Amino acid sequence: MRIKSKWLGILLTMGLVLAACSPSSGDETTTTEGEATATTEGSTDTTEGSTDTTEGSTEIATDVGVDLEAGTIDIGLLSDLSGGFAGLVTPIVTGHEVYWESVNADGGIEGLTVNLNIQDTGYVVDNHVQKYEEMKDSVVALGHSTGSPHTVAINDQLQEDGILAIPLTWYSGWTDPALNANLLHHGSSYCVEAQNVIQWLTEQMEDISTIGIVSVGGDYGLDSAAGAVLAAEGLGLEVVVDLAGGISDEASILAAADQIAEASPDLVWMTLIPSITSALFGQALANGYQGIWAGAGPSFSPAFVAPDSPIKDAVTASMYFGFYLEGWTGTSAGTEAAKELLLGAGRDIAPFDYYLEGVLEAEMMHQILQAAYDAGDMTQAGVLKAAKAFEDMGFDGLGPNESFVGDPNAQLQRETWVMKPDPDGLVAGTSGGAAIAEAAYVGSLVEAFDFTGACYVLGS
Amino acid sequence: MRGRPLLYTSYQGDQALMNTTPKKILLGLFLLLLVTIPFQLIPSISFMGENDWLKLLSLAAIYAIGALGLNILTGLAGQVSLGHAFFMGLGAYTAAWLGAPPGPLAGLGLPMWIWLPAAGIVASLVGLAVGPTAVRVRGLYLAFVTLGLVFIGEYVWRNWTWLTGGTQSGREFPEFELRIWKEEEPLIDFSSDGSWFGIELTGEAKTYFLMLALLVAFVLFAKNIQRTRVGRAFQSIRDRDIAAEIMGVNEVKYKLQAFAISSFFAGVSGALLASFVGRTIPERWNLFLSVLFIAIVLIGGAGVVTGTLLGASFVILLPRIVEDVTEWLTEYVVEGTGIFVWLADLVVVSGPDDWGIINISQGFGPGLSVALFNQVIYGLLIIGFLIFEPLGLYGIWLRIRNYWKGWPFTY
Amino acid sequence: MIPELLILAQETADPSRFANMVVDGLSLGTIYALLAVGFVIIFKATQVLNFAHGALAALGAFFVASYATIVDIPGRWMPDSPDWLVWALAVLIALITMALLGAALERVFLRPMVGEELFALAIITLGLDIVLRSITNDFIAPLDRPMGDPFGLGILDLGWVTIPHTQILQMIVAVVAVTAIAFFFRSRMGIAMRATAFDQEAARAQGISVGRVFSLSWAIGAVLAAIAGIFISVFPRRAAGVGPSTAFFAFAAFPAIIIGGLDSVVGAIVGGLIVGLAEAGASSYLRFEFLGTGFGGVVPWLLMMVILLVRPYGLFGTEEIRRV
Repeated sequence: MRIKSKWLGILLTMGLVLAACSPSSGDETTTTEGEATATTEGSTDTTEGSTDTTEGSTEIATDVGVDLEAGTIDIGLLSDLSGGFAGLVTPIVTGHEVYWESVNADGGIEGLTVNLNIQDTGYVVDNHVQKYEEMKDSVVALGHSTGSPHTVAINDQLQEDGILAIPLTWYSGWTDPALNANLLHHGSSYCVEAQNVIQWLTEQMEDISTIGIVSVGGDYGLDSAAGAVLAAEGLGLEVVVDLAGGISDEASILAAADQIAEASPDLVWMTLIPSITSALFGQALANGYQGIWAGAGPSFSPAFVAPDSPIKDAVTASMYFGFYLEGWTGTSAGTEAAKELLLGAGRDIAPFDYYLEGVLEAEMMHQILQAAYDAGDMTQAGVLKAAKAFEDMGFDGLGPNESFVGDPNAQLQRETWVMKPDPDGLVAGTSGGAAIAEAAYVGSLVEAFDFTGACYVLGS
Repeated sequence: MRGRPLLYTSYQGDQALMNTTPKKILLGLFLLLLVTIPFQLIPSISFMGENDWLKLLSLAAIYAIGALGLNILTGLAGQVSLGHAFFMGLGAYTAAWLGAPPGPLAGLGLPMWIWLPAAGIVASLVGLAVGPTAVRVRGLYLAFVTLGLVFIGEYVWRNWTWLTGGTQSGREFPEFELRIWKEEEPLIDFSSDGSWFGIELTGEAKTYFLMLALLVAFVLFAKNIQRTRVGRAFQSIRDRDIAAEIMGVNEVKYKLQAFAISSFFAGVSGALLASFVGRTIPERWNLFLSVLFIAIVLIGGAGVVTGTLLGASFVILLPRIVEDVTEWLTEYVVEGTGIFVWLADLVVVSGPDDWGIINISQGFGPGLSVALFNQVIYGLLIIGFLIFEPLGLYGIWLRIRNYWKGWPFTY
Repeated sequence: MIPELLILAQETADPSRFANMVVDGLSLGTIYALLAVGFVIIFKATQVLNFAHGALAALGAFFVASYATIVDIPGRWMPDSPDWLVWALAVLIALITMALLGAALERVFLRPMVGEELFALAIITLGLDIVLRSITNDFIAPLDRPMGDPFGLGILDLGWVTIPHTQILQMIVAVVAVTAIAFFFRSRMGIAMRATAFDQEAARAQGISVGRVFSLSWAIGAVLAAIAGIFISVFPRRAAGVGPSTAFFAFAAFPAIIIGGLDSVVGAIVGGLIVGLAEAGASSYLRFEFLGTGFGGVVPWLLMMVILLVRPYGLFGTEEIRRV
């Protein structure tokens, strides 16, 4: 054993040294970092489309991420593929992939092939910051940046570096001109969503007079909780349980379930991670709580209404949540086209709303890149400028139209889709576990809402 | 005497850190090598001069400083501690409180020469407070008491949102800038590109030099502890604590000292880590960070300073190496020439009908994603290392050295 | 402070809340106890601190979820049998799988390290934890997997206290498991295990196959962890099933192990129950503003520290005899 282990140890070390000195790992750091990594699937089949770029190339300015000679555009995605929201973000990333594959197959953007540099942050802010630093010198823009506190964390640096990012979060600060110089809001913010959904529920059900608020910490949880507080004030609801930012670990879920069962609010507004939602819902139910649950979109997961899920019926009867686009059960031209694209992509795709979010984000980026190309400036700054010039970006109904020009109140997205769980649709394949209860709803509170800044800011 | 390197003629000679000439020469060359890495003078390792490798090396230095502390506590004094992450967090938040500019979160804006040592000192004082428990509780139970510190720490960081920014959000940490006292322009700015003595350097290179300098200081400190009275007392406590007590080594005093010193290292390392990363969440100071340090100490070789340095480099550089190898393999699959294609094809899943271990697309196919594959390899390598070489990297180095020492009579 | 104490006093007087808290505490406590007993058995027999215990629990739960809902064994061959029978068989098969897996892990990763330093062994289990968790999460991801258990939302409502059916089953199973272990330790193999735990070399000299004892202890530990994992992943604790967060549950069991004493099975049970009740009690009663969130999770660790100051080897741990 001894002799063997000695040689094995030496072999191991040599193996590591060899790996470190292997030819391409030495070279690849000096050439383009982000280009060849991950999902090169799209680009390998379609390089034929890139040969005819020479026409406009002398007029297009580029700096980072766009290579006119090679005919490529690099977009970065900071995603959560292994953390709390992996179940929602992985389909979003697939949506991006499918969209760009089809665009590339049609010749790309004016002949330029779009490559995705997908990085997994695990929903940890530290990783997010680190991955951003690694990719900022090799991509022209960020196709999405997952997580409210995470995007807030890189916001200053984004502004310093002059790079555009589409936040994959619905934090209300993205409409604030003090914060959003490099960010493009899309979909109603958590704050607006809370007000809309809560108001809709009070209109649909007559006897809601008390509300409980539970959320995780961070900008995601606290922004939505702030919205719920505004709704309570505006509608005259009494807040009987206030655990905004109060959910973090097992013990806190237990405590929250106890409190909810005791205080028994008519409505609980939750902003949680899906695994926490299921634990809290289950335990409150076990403690005897029978009220209505409503929450921010990312709190819900179709796993709750899967055929084998024990809470399927309870969730279907008592849960509602907000969403930022039509979702799979929508019927607009944009949604139908996206669904066709996804189902025809040759991948194992079952209906799920978040694929459409991915397609929406990709469509945003497509329109932006096209506009930047038309303007002749595809530098990082040029892409940012082109993005911020959109006064009415449309998606054929896939999602609400967005404007990035003008007064924040004019830009503020006020439409929220109220969704209900749909277990039958999940089984039948007509929905991703959720169906529209009310499309593009704007309550009177939100109608009158005057945007003066993010509903929640760190340190307040 | 020449030709007789192990013949010492004076106490100083025996106790010297560099007791043989080859050691002196090699150390000198090695330090020279480290200093010149950012200038990319040597072709085969010039890739290490790239900014991202410099960042990795700086990170390895920071972890090495922390690990040196744990090495003193666990390797030298034999007090098993899983609480290192707590002291690092303590150091980091002390640094933040003192050094971060005033804003929505706590910060006094004091200069670096105050917040960095203060981080160490505060952590050290708290370590002293923990010390008496170590006297009462032994062995593996002590490990769990220190582990409890980590969880209590997590609870405190989570709830002191005025200091830490709260869960999920975190806060910014002070930059590496040396000022005299709160001026506008720092005297030395380590984090942005600039020039020193006429040489153009990137921010990463400057930070690298700073970390190198700090590491050298701490290594000297650690090595010196080992050969002084305090160090010998630690080792006697580790080996036979009752016998040591009988001989007059005051167990309580030295255990307290061990905790205090180790926490100082941890506090400084934590402050450096947080400022290096720039922004971090309170969840970072968790059990896995503590365990990372234990792994560094054990993989490197417990009780030996060189071992700790080797361990830190291994653990920090390994994920990057694994990532590079995986990328290299996936490129081979895509480009498809050469003898390694069959290996790459075997290992990587490239299309919907392919089989393999690594799956590079995000679709729900067979195989692990790249990130997961890296994790698995990381875990397996740690296991493999400890199984096949329990003395750690230092043990391997010893074997190699002894082989060549006795060559050609190595049997 | 005074108003809070008054409120606390008033709250304690409420029997229904107290009863519910006790039920919560016992159900949490039995999970911790199962995890702790498995851990202690492994530690006693092989001197290994098994940091991979949480991953084993998650893996066990995942096997149940996959046999019951994904691959449908043995359900596919028994379409007309009652649900509970099919599920019970699925659980049985999953437990057998886990026993074999536990023995295999011991044989491959830990046998070569016999005699090496304790902490090196612990780090190996840590590496194992990383590997097992990563692979398990990869299979589970991206959505949590339901257990497919027949209990659904069943709750026994006695008016003044509500007990979910799964928690009743939990307590029954825990009692059965503990009794089984007590009987096992009186059997031949059990005595062999106790002998090996006491003194490996002497046991070997008596002809006991130490290797077999090691494998068996890991098998038992894995099975107990799997049972705990199942109970972590059912309604109401995790209504959506087993997911990436299941594995981290086991860390909360460490205070229980230490309070009881690292090498005492009785201590593990007692420690588990104490910790469960303490956590439930704190979550239910200690809800003061100044304590912030998650205080209930910290209480077991504080309790552990206090107990260790009084009894440095845990409540039932054997005191180390130190010689010069």
